Amino acid sequence: MFKKNNLSIGQNISLTTILIVIFSVLTATFSQYINYSGVTNDIVESTSKEINKQIILNYENYIDSVIQTANYIQGQTAQYGHIGEPIELDSIYEQASEIQEDIVSIVLIGISGNEIVNSESKTLNSEDLTLKQWYIDAISDVSIFHFSSPHIQDIYSSSVEEVITVTKLIDYYSNGVKYQGVLVIDLNNINLVRLAETTNLGDQGHIIILNDDNSLISSSSNICVENTCESAVIAQSIIIGGEKVEINNIAMYANVNTLNTTRWRIATFTNVELIEETRNKTLITNGIILLVTLTITALAASSVSRRISSPVNKLKKHMLHMGEGDFYQRIDLHGQKEIVVLANSFNHMIEEIKYLLDKILVEQRDKRKTEFIALQTQINPHFLYNTLDSIVYLSENKMNEDVVEMVIALSKFFRIGISRGKNIILLSEELEHARNYLLIQKIRYHNKFEFEFEVEDKVKDCKVVKLILQPLIENCINHGINTEYGSGLITIRAYEKDGNLCLEVEDDGYGITDKKRDELYLGFIDKTKAKSVGLRNVYQRLQLYYGEESQFIIDTELDVKTTIRLVISMEREVQDEKK
Amino acid sequence: MRRNSIVLLLIIIAFLGGCKSKNNVVPLLIYNDADPYMEEFRDNILERTPEEYSIEAYDSQNSQIIQNEFIEDLLKEQPPVMIINPVDRLGAYTIVLKAKEVNVPVIFINREPLEEDLYLWDQVYYVGAPAERSAELQSEIIMELFGDPNNLGVNDLNGDNIIQIILLKGEQGHQDAETRTEVVMNELETNGYEVETLVIEIANWKTSEGYEAMMELLPIYGEQLELVISNNDAMAIGAIQALMELEYFQDLDNDGFIDHEIEPWIPVVGIDGITSALELITSGYLYGTVINDSESMAEAIIELTTAIINGDDVNTISYLLIDNKYIWVDYKKYVLDEN
Repeated sequence: MFKKNNLSIGQNISLTTILIVIFSVLTATFSQYINYSGVTNDIVESTSKEINKQIILNYENYIDSVIQTANYIQGQTAQYGHIGEPIELDSIYEQASEIQEDIVSIVLIGISGNEIVNSESKTLNSEDLTLKQWYIDAISDVSIFHFSSPHIQDIYSSSVEEVITVTKLIDYYSNGVKYQGVLVIDLNNINLVRLAETTNLGDQGHIIILNDDNSLISSSSNICVENTCESAVIAQSIIIGGEKVEINNIAMYANVNTLNTTRWRIATFTNVELIEETRNKTLITNGIILLVTLTITALAASSVSRRISSPVNKLKKHMLHMGEGDFYQRIDLHGQKEIVVLANSFNHMIEEIKYLLDKILVEQRDKRKTEFIALQTQINPHFLYNTLDSIVYLSENKMNEDVVEMVIALSKFFRIGISRGKNIILLSEELEHARNYLLIQKIRYHNKFEFEFEVEDKVKDCKVVKLILQPLIENCINHGINTEYGSGLITIRAYEKDGNLCLEVEDDGYGITDKKRDELYLGFIDKTKAKSVGLRNVYQRLQLYYGEESQFIIDTELDVKTTIRLVISMEREVQDEKK
Repeated sequence: MRRNSIVLLLIIIAFLGGCKSKNNVVPLLIYNDADPYMEEFRDNILERTPEEYSIEAYDSQNSQIIQNEFIEDLLKEQPPVMIINPVDRLGAYTIVLKAKEVNVPVIFINREPLEEDLYLWDQVYYVGAPAERSAELQSEIIMELFGDPNNLGVNDLNGDNIIQIILLKGEQGHQDAETRTEVVMNELETNGYEVETLVIEIANWKTSEGYEAMMELLPIYGEQLELVISNNDAMAIGAIQALMELEYFQDLDNDGFIDHEIEPWIPVVGIDGITSALELITSGYLYGTVINDSESMAEAIIELTTAIINGDDVNTISYLLIDNKYIWVDYKKYVLDEN
């Protein structure tokens, strides 16, 4: 299952475009084809119906002319007979038969088959004419003309011509007395065939004529010469009307219509193969057009969608980079106007962000420096005051050597503390500073404690933030010296562990309780709960300079010892914060 | 799911079936609307159509080809029944066979197909008038006008006791034209009237041709003429127009009425009884006509159609149905009541 969200812009565009085009082209092609085939069907139907009508009209005209002649003969027969001059009828019959060339003969025979009037000079067939089918027909229904099927002329014995016999019962007079006789008009059958041949019904198109008993009267095609031929069977089943049929595997349109006054039906078969072929060709052409259009559309759609989506993809990739913190690449796009504008805005945004980030960085650094310096300077005055106090005390008690030692130590202490304004100094210097401080305090506290240094040589040239040991030692002296139980030994250690630099200040004093230790830790973070300004000061500076990785560990055992351990990253060359 | 689609299918089938059986338009095919008698006949049928179905009339324009086309198309729509006035009565067998194929009953009217064709199927009927009766009645009108055949009286203008006539004949070869002509002549002859036929002129049932024929014939035979017999009213009206134009009719007092006692006139008799002919009888121009009772026939046709549509027994209608096939509606004589 497709989820719409899962499709890319490109897929969406091409899919939509292709779908729209498929839909519209299919609709157009389909409706065109339907229209076309509808129109061609109509044309096939109407043209072949028109042809059929034309043929029927031709035959009707022909039949009408025959009927007219017959009517004329009937009228004349009644009139002349009435006047009582039957002799003249012979010439009227003769003329009428001569005027219309397809009339072979016009004969009037009496009820018993005897000759009354004869247009030809031939003698009548001596057989009993009242047994002929045309005679029986004429007697069976006296109100209409009867048209026979084609047959060899049988009213004369010598004839070989194929004729159609038209008969009707009419009145005639002999010596003023009215009699009934049968008018027999023989028509040359060739004319029927000729009428059929004059019409263009296309290749193998043909005409057949059926009688009311479905027998074949005439056919213009030599394929169809029997009642059972394909065309005749089709015409018989259609009865009347039009239908599309197939004869000899050729598409034909069959039309069957009645022919007035004869009871005949004329069936025309028009070849419509050509039209069918044209329609199939149109279908194929339409199919090809559909395929070509689809291909072109697919190509165009995918190219357009690529042109739109590829810059967008580029932009997307760039944004991902930016999300990972890369603010230093500009994006350079060509293509759609909107995308270029978007890219430019994006570039502008990156620059803005970069500028802001830099600004924040500088501000942070400045702030840290300010804090750092402030913390560093908190140490000195307080200590100096106490030391000077001690020197005054030593001087008053004439302890000159101690005074000298103390003043020297103090001078060294300050030289390192100031260290020409640098915040970062060599560990050896920091240790020296611590030693001087211890010396000063030792004199001041009348040798109440001892101290020692355990320093690995390899760490001496490490760089450290200055004045981090002194506050720890100060803490020891103030809280950790226990002369009653311990020797009052303060141990300063510096060593490397796991790539980090460890600095330890240890005393063997009272130790501190867990609770107090937790309070100390808490005070490092929350200024208002700070117990020891000095320790917090060191902690803060470590945090500021070395960051989160630096450790400030208080390790203690009650009445045994307290160790404060600083773990910081080992740096040989550290860029000066002052830069 | 499957049950739903079956139900849907059934509904569609029922709907389609409903549509099919809903065709209650009965086609009425007239051989030619230009024939005023058939026009009246058609209107008489249409105005009697009950509300339960409708009748739509088609003009075959005197062409069997056109009528065949109508029939072919209309049968596809499965009408409940078809009313057909055939152009070519001899071709009617094809209509019967075609209608039988799709089971649409057919009522032929006015032109009688061959008997054998009507018996091709039991759902075929004919409503009409017996052709020879019209001419019999026409001859009765003539006989009543001339009176005693041995002493013809005032209307035998030249007093030779022979009636000099012009006969206007319908379409040559048309069964009705032949029958009407033959029967009227025979009737007069059998009843002892001596008739001299000045001319039998074919005017194809049409007023215009009747008029034209008479305009040619009157200058030749006008002096002898004592009676015009027309196979139908339309040609009779044409004849009257010519007679008026050549002043054989003269409305001396200009009252719009020809008084046979005092104003010049020639008797003209027609057949059919179309409205305009009846009007001419009222005004004294046309002497008489035989009403081919299209009102009664229209009623018979409607009753028969209704019975077929409702599936009732066709023998229960108020007209006599002979042999389940024929309804004969007799003609009526119509002359001016001069009293």
